[in-house]
Amino acid sequence: MNRLTKTLSDLKDNNKKALVAYLVAGDPDISSTIQLMNLFVESGVDVIEIGVPFTDPIAEGPIIQKAHDRALKNNISLESIFSMVSEFRKHNNETPIVLMGYLNTFIFYKKLIEENKNNAIDSILVVDIPGELNLKDYGIHSPNINTISLISPTTQINRIESIAKNSTGFVYYVTLRGVTGASNLDVNEISNNVEEIKKHASVPTLAGFGIKSVEDAKLLSDCSDGIIIGSSIVQMIEESSKSKEFDRIGNYLTEIKKAIL
Amino acid sequence: MNSNKKTLPDKNGFFGDYGGKFVPETLMYALEELESTYKKLKDNPEFKNQFYKDLSEFVGRPSPLYFAERLTKHYGTGSIWLKREDLNHTGAHKINNTIGQILLAKHMGKKRIIAETGAGQHGVATATVAARLGLECHIYMGSEDVQRQSLNVYRIKLLGAQVHAVDSGSATLKDALNEALRDWVTNVDDTYYIIGSVTGPHPYPMIVRDFNSVVGEELINQSKELFNSMPNAIVACVGGGSNAMGAFYPFINIKETRLIGVEAGGEGVETGEHAAPLNDGTPGVLHGALSYLMQDDTGQVKGTKSVSAGLDYPGVGPEHSWLKDSGRAEYVAVSDNAALKAFHEVSEFEGIIPALETAHAFAYLDTLMKEFDKKANIIVNVSGRGDKDINTVAEIDGIKF
Repeated sequence: MNRLTKTLSDLKDNNKKALVAYLVAGDPDISSTIQLMNLFVESGVDVIEIGVPFTDPIAEGPIIQKAHDRALKNNISLESIFSMVSEFRKHNNETPIVLMGYLNTFIFYKKLIEENKNNAIDSILVVDIPGELNLKDYGIHSPNINTISLISPTTQINRIESIAKNSTGFVYYVTLRGVTGASNLDVNEISNNVEEIKKHASVPTLAGFGIKSVEDAKLLSDCSDGIIIGSSIVQMIEESSKSKEFDRIGNYLTEIKKAIL
Repeated sequence: MNSNKKTLPDKNGFFGDYGGKFVPETLMYALEELESTYKKLKDNPEFKNQFYKDLSEFVGRPSPLYFAERLTKHYGTGSIWLKREDLNHTGAHKINNTIGQILLAKHMGKKRIIAETGAGQHGVATATVAARLGLECHIYMGSEDVQRQSLNVYRIKLLGAQVHAVDSGSATLKDALNEALRDWVTNVDDTYYIIGSVTGPHPYPMIVRDFNSVVGEELINQSKELFNSMPNAIVACVGGGSNAMGAFYPFINIKETRLIGVEAGGEGVETGEHAAPLNDGTPGVLHGALSYLMQDDTGQVKGTKSVSAGLDYPGVGPEHSWLKDSGRAEYVAVSDNAALKAFHEVSEFEGIIPALETAHAFAYLDTLMKEFDKKANIIVNVSGRGDKDINTVAEIDGIKF
């Protein structure tokens, strides 16, 4: 069974919420990313979402944009990300890994994805594609990789069903109108929309974009199957990029994990 | 606006293999809303009348097709005709599209207008139409372009719009587009995004083309009137490709007219330092559409180089990619140096200072005019005037004011 599917279904069976943590591959460098991935796991993170850097990340706010730029200065490509994850897999074969990025990069490396060496990757989330489109039609597929589609507050009800059905990993509910890291959460709207999605989706629905505080995390996990945290982690990575002391991130994630149980 | 003949794009927004709607989910509804509004209005007589009335009374259309006597003599082969988009209000073809799109924004009840701009012409054109309707307007512009097009920056401010300098990435047009898209994602409910070229997600390439097709439609009539046949060739510069598309589109089925797009060759296509994706790019996805794209060997978008801010863009409108692959249009590139030489020559021969973008189209006449005899009629689309480029050219020529 696909690691992502298994992890999410185990959590559900135990009545627990998923914690997904995001970082950008190669920010500040590859060895730090592997170190951070291990730290995530130790801190109770259930799923690691790896941002694939792109020159033109139109859905990202300033914090994650800068992380993409830093990673690109280190010449990070999808190729180096696959080797990095293979390295991580040498000692961790349980934690699901999602690649999140932009269509151009995935199309460019569709052979690597199809191959999915060492069964490294579990899921792909393409930010800039309508949720009902099948990535397979763009040559992006691999037998053991599922896909994650986004649904946002502006998604019309007539499309929710087809997007939810097209999503095989989980449904990613974008909690706000805006880019990653913005701060205009509307909990009522979120809770109503997640409810609507759950009517149609056979996979869990997770919420992300704009979750910063432990309180945000708690509120949103109450109305979903789990949450995704990105910008606030990436901000802390940036602040510690010289010292490479990432303990604070571990503490932050541990605290969030506790709050959403 | 002439809707009775063509079938592309298809219902998913594709021109052959190119185009589409590759955007974050939050924008999908906005694009659907725009498409349905446009479909409803484009053949509505009242809407069309308003559009053509504004073009006539506010922009000053039709723009003349003017015989370039000395340039024609200089080459000594065919007759060279100039489509004078530089005479439009605000100084370029960009106003045609903004006149149309602001009408859409008004019908949709949007209160806030945003746009990206490279050379600043689209920013000026957008600020102009927003001012006319009293709408709040924000223009995104790469900080490098803010420097080299300072005159247009000031014009935009005079028109009551805010200019946001974009420092991210290469700080040029592509980054301004990124930032405008981010603004749109955030303020999608009350904001209309006036894209300035035949780029971006469907339905923009279609809408911008249709509004700007007034250029090609006029050319058909003017050609009949002035030389009683269809032109042998139309030459236009291509950055995103809106002036070229507007001139080319009504001619797609007029097979005797060669359609020639001239891209920015920068330091020379062979050096890799240019902005000529149709000449030296591969298909890829940027800013919502699949089209030819300048990208490196890891799928990242490459930096571009051009003396002209309006052509300094790594992508190109998807319909141009389709016209290239289908062979209906030809795409060439000329270097910065060739464009600068043409900038001076056209100024001196014709008393018309062309935009640096337009100078690329003129520069290609050096090659093209050798292919024709005296009976031929060649049209150059003078997409804009060069006032905005005076500082850039003066600096290159070592002149300080």
